[in-house]
Amino acid sequence: MLVTWKYRPRNTFIQRLDPRTRLLFFFCVIFGLTLPDIWDYRVILPLFAMSLTLYLLARIEWKDVKRVWLFIFVLVFMIVGLNALLSGRGGPASVTNTASPVVFEVLGIDVTIAKIWFALTQVVRMITMTLLAIPIPYTMDPNIYGTAFRKLGSSDKVSFTMDLAFRFLPTFARDFTITMDSQRARGYELEKVKGGIASRLRKLAPLIIPVVMQSTVTGEEVIDAMDLRAFGTNPRTWIKADDLRYKFADYIMLGLALILLVGGFVLRFGLGIGEFFIPDFFTNLFL
Amino acid sequence: MNNSSTWEFGTRQVVYGAIGAALYGVLSWASNFVPLPAAGNVTFRPAVAVLIFFGVAYGPWVGFLAGFIGNTLGDAISGWGFFWNWSVGNGLMGLVAGLVAAQIKDFRAQGDIVKAVIYGIVGVAVGMLFASFTEMITSGIDFNTALVGYFVPAFIGNAVVTVILVPILMIAFAAVASRRGR
Repeated sequence: MLVTWKYRPRNTFIQRLDPRTRLLFFFCVIFGLTLPDIWDYRVILPLFAMSLTLYLLARIEWKDVKRVWLFIFVLVFMIVGLNALLSGRGGPASVTNTASPVVFEVLGIDVTIAKIWFALTQVVRMITMTLLAIPIPYTMDPNIYGTAFRKLGSSDKVSFTMDLAFRFLPTFARDFTITMDSQRARGYELEKVKGGIASRLRKLAPLIIPVVMQSTVTGEEVIDAMDLRAFGTNPRTWIKADDLRYKFADYIMLGLALILLVGGFVLRFGLGIGEFFIPDFFTNLFL
Repeated sequence: MNNSSTWEFGTRQVVYGAIGAALYGVLSWASNFVPLPAAGNVTFRPAVAVLIFFGVAYGPWVGFLAGFIGNTLGDAISGWGFFWNWSVGNGLMGLVAGLVAAQIKDFRAQGDIVKAVIYGIVGVAVGMLFASFTEMITSGIDFNTALVGYFVPAFIGNAVVTVILVPILMIAFAAVASRRGR
C-alpha cells in the first residue's frame, strides 16, 4: 500500500506558486549555498531569515510536523552539532587546519573557538536548508510531482522515476518503522552492542531484509500495472500539465532564486566573501 | 557485458530505479538514528548494501538512479544540502555494480555471489574515488586529506558492508523470486 505525505490543500502564498517555481527555488538556494561552499554567517543568517519566513508563510500546522522537527533537532544538535564541536569535520578544512585558541577540553579532545563557531554555523546552515525542504511534502500535491519534472524538461521516463521515488519515500519510511517495531516485539534487540563489526552488521539483516524484499515484490506489481497501461510505448499524456502556469509571483520568486544562486558564486569567487571565518566579536567572548 | 539488455531503460528500470532511490534515501536517513558500528573514523552505512544489491539485481541504470537520486533525497531530508559529487559518486557505485547484472544467473550460487561482491567492491572504489577526489576541487582539501581522510575510511566501511550484507540480500532475494515464479 502506498502511504502519502500529509498533504493538505491550503490557500497560502506558497501553495499558489507553481510547483516548478518551488523546486527551482529550493535547488537554487541549496546550490547557491553548497556549490560555492559558503560558510560566512553574514550570508547564512539572512538566508536563514528568508527560509524561516517562507516556512511560516506555508502555514503548516505544528501538530503535523512536530515529530519531524523533533527528529531534525536530535540530528542537527545532538549528532551533527556535537560532532562539529568535537571533531571540526564535515565542513571547510580551515576549521581544523588553522590554529585557534582552545576553550576547554573534553575526553582529551581540544574544543577550539573555531570548532564552536563552526558548530553554530553548521547548525544554522542545515536548518536553513531543512526549512525549505520540509514544507514540500506537506504543501505540494503528490499528483503533481511527475508533471512538474516533465514540464521542467525531463523525459517521460525520468519524470516518472522522480515521481515514483518521491511517492515511495514515505511508504518505505513507514515500512521501516513497522519492521523495526515488529522485530522488537519478537525480542530483537538493536541497541545491544555485542560482537565484532561483522556480527553487528549481520544483526541488521532482520531490519533490512524484510523492507528490501517487500519492496521488490511491490516493484513487480507496479511494473505489471504500468506495462498493462502501455507505459513507455508512446509519448505520455500528462493531464495536469495544463494546470501549471507561471504567474506574476512565480517570476518574482524565480528572479529571487536566480539572484541567490548567482549571488552565491559572485560573493565567493568574485568578491572573496563567504569563506569560513570567526568574527572578532565571537573570539572576544572567550578572551 | 555491453549487450542491449544491460543498458535497457524501460518500465522495469524506471520502477526499480525509483524504489532503489527511495529505499536508499530512507535507509541513509534512518542510519542517522540507528546506532551503527564504527571503528576509528570509519563508519559503516548498511544502506550501501541495498544500493549495490539493486545494481546487481536490476542493472547499471537502476544502480545509478538509486545511488544518485537516493543520496540526493537522503541528504535533502536530513538537511545536509546537496553535494553533487557525493551523489554522482554514489550513482557510480551502483552503476559499476550493475555491470555484473547480466552475468548473474542464480542468486544463490556461490560463484555468482562472489562475482557480485567483487563488482560491488570495484563500484565502491570507483564511486568513492570520484567523490573523494572531486572534493579536492569543491572544498579545496589536499591530495593527502582526500586519500586518507575521505577515500580510505569511506572505501573500507562500504566495502565491509558490501561483503557482509550483499550475499545475505542475494540469498533472501533468490527465495522471494522463486516463490513468485519470476
